[in-house]
Amino acid sequence: MRACPPFCLPLRLVRCYNFPMDESAKRVSLTEIFLTFTKIGLTGFGGGMAIVALVERVCVREKQWITAEEFLHGLAFGQILGPFSLNVCTFTGHHLRGIRGGILAATGFIMPSFLLVSLLSWLYFTYHKLPQLQAALEGTNPVVIGLIMVVAIDMGKKQIRNANGAIMALAAFVAAVFLKLNAAWILLAAAGWSLAVTIYKRESV
Amino acid sequence: MAALLTLAWVYLRIGLIFVGGGYVLIPLMNHIMVEQYHWLTLRQFLDGVALSQLTPGPLAILATFTGVRVGGFLGGLVATVFIFLPCVTLMLLIGRNYHRLKNIDTIKKTLDGLLPAVVGMVAAAAWSLGAASLSGVKEFVVLGVGFAIFKWTKVSPMVVILGAGLVGLLIN
Repeated sequence: MRACPPFCLPLRLVRCYNFPMDESAKRVSLTEIFLTFTKIGLTGFGGGMAIVALVERVCVREKQWITAEEFLHGLAFGQILGPFSLNVCTFTGHHLRGIRGGILAATGFIMPSFLLVSLLSWLYFTYHKLPQLQAALEGTNPVVIGLIMVVAIDMGKKQIRNANGAIMALAAFVAAVFLKLNAAWILLAAAGWSLAVTIYKRESV
Repeated sequence: MAALLTLAWVYLRIGLIFVGGGYVLIPLMNHIMVEQYHWLTLRQFLDGVALSQLTPGPLAILATFTGVRVGGFLGGLVATVFIFLPCVTLMLLIGRNYHRLKNIDTIKKTLDGLLPAVVGMVAAAAWSLGAASLSGVKEFVVLGVGFAIFKWTKVSPMVVILGAGLVGLLIN
C-alpha cells in the first residue's frame, strides 16, 4: 500500500469503521476484472477445462479473489448450465463486484474469441478458405493438458480428504471418460450422494 | 433489421436450450442453421465448427460465425450476445443467491461433499484431451515440460500457453 500523509490516516480509520463487514478493503476495480478476463480470453487456447484451469491459477491462486471451495461450487453450477468456461468467469466476476462484475468478466472473456471468429469468418466467407492455424494449436495442446493435470492434482489434494471423496472422484472420472455421461447428470448424482451422506451423518450423531 | 431480429430470436432460443447441456449444441445448430433457415451449407457449417474450436471461447461462439454470414459484423454481435444471454443471466442469478443458500447447513455440506466429483471431472477433461491429441514422443515431452513448469515454478500459465503456440507455429 502507498504511504500516505498523516492527515489522511483518520479518514482511513473512519472508512474502516463505517464498513466493518464489507470487503471494500480489497475491493477489486471493474477495470481490473475486465482486463484480467480479457487476458484469459486471449490466451486460454484449448477451451473448456483449459479456461477453468487458467481462471483457477489466476483468480484463486495468484490474486486470491475467491476461495478454492467457492470457485469449485461455481464450476459445479456452471457445468449444469452449459458453457462452463464462460460460466466460471461470470460467477467469479459476480463474486467480486456483483452484477456489473459478472457481466464485465463474461464480456471480457468472450470478446477476444468474438473478434477473432468475426475476422476469420469474414475471411472465410470472402475467400472460401480456412486459415492454417491448426499448427499453433497443436503446440498448445500438450501444455494445456499439463496445466489441467496440475490444477486437478492441486484441487484433489485439497478436496479429497477421505475414502468417500476418493471413491466419488473416481466414479465421476469413470462416468465422464468411459461412460461418456453428461456433466449435468454426473453432478446431480454426486449431489444426491452427498446429500445422503450429509443426512446419514446427522442422523447418526 | 428483420434479419437481425430473426438472428436475435433464433439464438436466444438456442441459448435457452443450451443451458440444459452443451452436448446437444452441434446437432441442434446444424438442424436450425442448415436445414431450417438455410443460412449455411453443411460444408460451411462444419468449417464453422472447426473455426470456432480455434478460439478459447466455448463452442457456442459458432453463433458468431453464422451471424457474420447472415448480417455481417453486426449480425455476429447480435447472435453472440443473444446465445450467451440466458446462461450469463442464470449464472448471475445463482451468484446472487449463492451466499444465502450457503448459510443453510444442509446445502453447504452437500455442496462441499460433491466437490470430489468436480475434481474427478477436471481430471477426466485432461484424460479426454490427452487421448484425442497426444500421439508422439514430442508431445509427451512438451506435456512433461509444461507440467513441471506449472507445478514447480511461478511462471504465468498464460505466457507458457502463448509461448507453446508460437513454438508450434515455428516447428510445423
